[in-house]
Amino acid sequence: MAIEEHTISLLVNNQPGVLSRIAGVFSSRGYNIRSLCVAETINPEVSRITLTSRAESDFTEKIKKQLDKLVDVISVTDFTGAPAVQRELMLIRLRLTEENRKEVLRAIDLFGCRVVAMSEGCLIMEITANKDKTAAILKYFEPFGVEEMNRTGAIAVFRQAREG
Amino acid sequence: MLAPPAASCGEWLAGGFTEKELYMDTIGADIVLKTLAEEGVDVIFGYPGANTLPLNDRLTDSPIRHYLMRHEQAAAHAADGYARATGKVGVCLSTSGPGATNMVTGIATAYMDSTPMVAITAQVNSDLWGRDAFQETDIIGITMPITKHSFMVRDVNQIASSIRQAFQLASTGRPGPVLVDIPKDILSARCGDQPKKALTATTKRIDNPEQIERIAQALNRSERPVLLIGGGVKLGDACVQMSELVQRAQAPFVTTMMGIGSVSSANGFNLGFIGTHGNELANRMIHQSDFILALGARFTERSTSVVSEFAPLATVAQIDIDPTSIGKNIKVDLPFVGDIQEALAALIPLIVSRERDAWLERIRTDRQTLEEKLIDGGCGQAGILIRKVQAAMPRETIVVPDVGLNQIWTVRTWQSHSPRSLLTSGGMGTMGFSVPAAIGARVGAPDRDVVVICGDGGFYMNIQELATISYYRLPIKIVVINNGHLGMIRQMQDLFYDARFTTSDLGDRVDLVAVARGFGIPAERVAVDEDPAEAIARMSAAEGPYMVEAMVDPDNYVYPIIPPGCSNVEMISGK
Repeated sequence: MAIEEHTISLLVNNQPGVLSRIAGVFSSRGYNIRSLCVAETINPEVSRITLTSRAESDFTEKIKKQLDKLVDVISVTDFTGAPAVQRELMLIRLRLTEENRKEVLRAIDLFGCRVVAMSEGCLIMEITANKDKTAAILKYFEPFGVEEMNRTGAIAVFRQAREG
Repeated sequence: MLAPPAASCGEWLAGGFTEKELYMDTIGADIVLKTLAEEGVDVIFGYPGANTLPLNDRLTDSPIRHYLMRHEQAAAHAADGYARATGKVGVCLSTSGPGATNMVTGIATAYMDSTPMVAITAQVNSDLWGRDAFQETDIIGITMPITKHSFMVRDVNQIASSIRQAFQLASTGRPGPVLVDIPKDILSARCGDQPKKALTATTKRIDNPEQIERIAQALNRSERPVLLIGGGVKLGDACVQMSELVQRAQAPFVTTMMGIGSVSSANGFNLGFIGTHGNELANRMIHQSDFILALGARFTERSTSVVSEFAPLATVAQIDIDPTSIGKNIKVDLPFVGDIQEALAALIPLIVSRERDAWLERIRTDRQTLEEKLIDGGCGQAGILIRKVQAAMPRETIVVPDVGLNQIWTVRTWQSHSPRSLLTSGGMGTMGFSVPAAIGARVGAPDRDVVVICGDGGFYMNIQELATISYYRLPIKIVVINNGHLGMIRQMQDLFYDARFTTSDLGDRVDLVAVARGFGIPAERVAVDEDPAEAIARMSAAEGPYMVEAMVDPDNYVYPIIPPGCSNVEMISGK
């Protein structure tokens, strides 16, 4: 079976230990969580967890059934291949020199990134984009000297309201 | 203080809380005990520690009986045995730290065999959490993969609702163990809140009668059907319906080890149990079948052997209450998620009986050939011994094998007549299960005889429970089949490791008869090649507990077996 990237989103009770149970469902079956994003929803008693994992194509179905069994999991949604908007936030601190300064600033503008801080010899830029684009941007800036990079992992929202 | 102990749980409950109790003297421990009583608990198996003391103290005012085991692992196995024998939720209690970790193997055993169980652990005071306090351990974290769910009670007012939810979860859907961890300060905290009535949880159920129709059509159309009965049929209380289906379809059936005893063997449709140590007839016939209907079975590798070679010609239908069990191990063509009793009730009227003479004839011929080939049912002297034990015991006797050769000898030899008469650790294969599980079984079913069939290896693993048996005068009959070795390990070394025997010799220096007598249990030793009938008769006639140590040859193996990496039709009958 082909290995592909899956994005799964869960609504869960906002309580200690819940994330650990969910992580256990993945780890005990040998799956690695590649990105993870957790935050409270409008209802403070409920959190949304969005995570991505690489696995076989029947993975989502199997893992969804296991996640559905957890008492603290309210719902499980699979974003893989669905019409949805996906975004992640990435921060890059880039080395700035006399030689690269002009090109870097032009590229930041072109890619639609934002400079959020600047100091002697470096700048910090912020990119909000889907994973493919953040990956492409990171690749482009790497030769200029990426001193530090951090990103949030994906979150997603369906393009239209869905049943269930 | 609470009122003096009432005669029964019902009477005690009917009394309710007095105003004084509510506002003056009621503490968390009282709420625990009262909620347990409401859930129908009359027995708990436990071991005290500093952090359980508020509960132990209040037990004196409660009609709930507390059986003091000699090890927390045994408390969990006893609760498991109690649940398997009665169908009720078993309850065990331990303190924090080592008490709680000692229960882990017992909880995992219950989890693998889907036993409804509530394990209550006392925790260190909540202001000590995370400080590496004396006997502090994160038991919720440790047991996460082996429980259906767990509750850390953080407020005295959550005790009743947590325990109720624990019972609800443990006993519904695919049953299993649930852990409730309660800090000592919460057990001791005064409270005025009377427990509120539990919310009845709704179980999610897929309602698709069309799928049942499809399964019925596939069964009706099939030429060589085999019904595969798993442990879920007993757990779902569907043995009566299962027999009905066998009769109506006139279809042969095989079982998993956990499914043994679900349907009487008397009608000739039973082919035995499948898998590594199963019956050759069962393995051959499921391999040749063109349709399998699996009920409450998850197709573990112990049953299927090499998955890619399992039943290559068969269309597979599977009925299970647990959606994750469907298609977990093999590809399923016709899945149905739902309650097994309801599924069978819908399925049975749709089944038409048809003649499958060629199939039944093939089974008859094979059965005869295989039975002739296999001397003493493949279990040698040990098998003969077990047959004699069963013959000497009443029909409704509960048999509790341990794990190893003794387990295979027992499940292949003992004729189970009713669903709750063979209690065995199937999924986990926990050595040391038998003696404590038998204690739970006997406590839960005091009108039935209970026999343990154990190897010397497994006997050592919870030997301290002889003290519990002795203390409570439980008339449990124990047969230790002593070959001085870890027999199953020895057999595997003999067959698959060029007879290099290492780490499997237990020696013959221990006088088990003297050990049992030291615990206050009458005991005697026999050699199985001499006639053990008299010793067995004395054991069967004994009023109280009794142990027979039966000496067998270490080369008394079990045959046929499937070598590792081979398919179900490649069973071997010798070296």
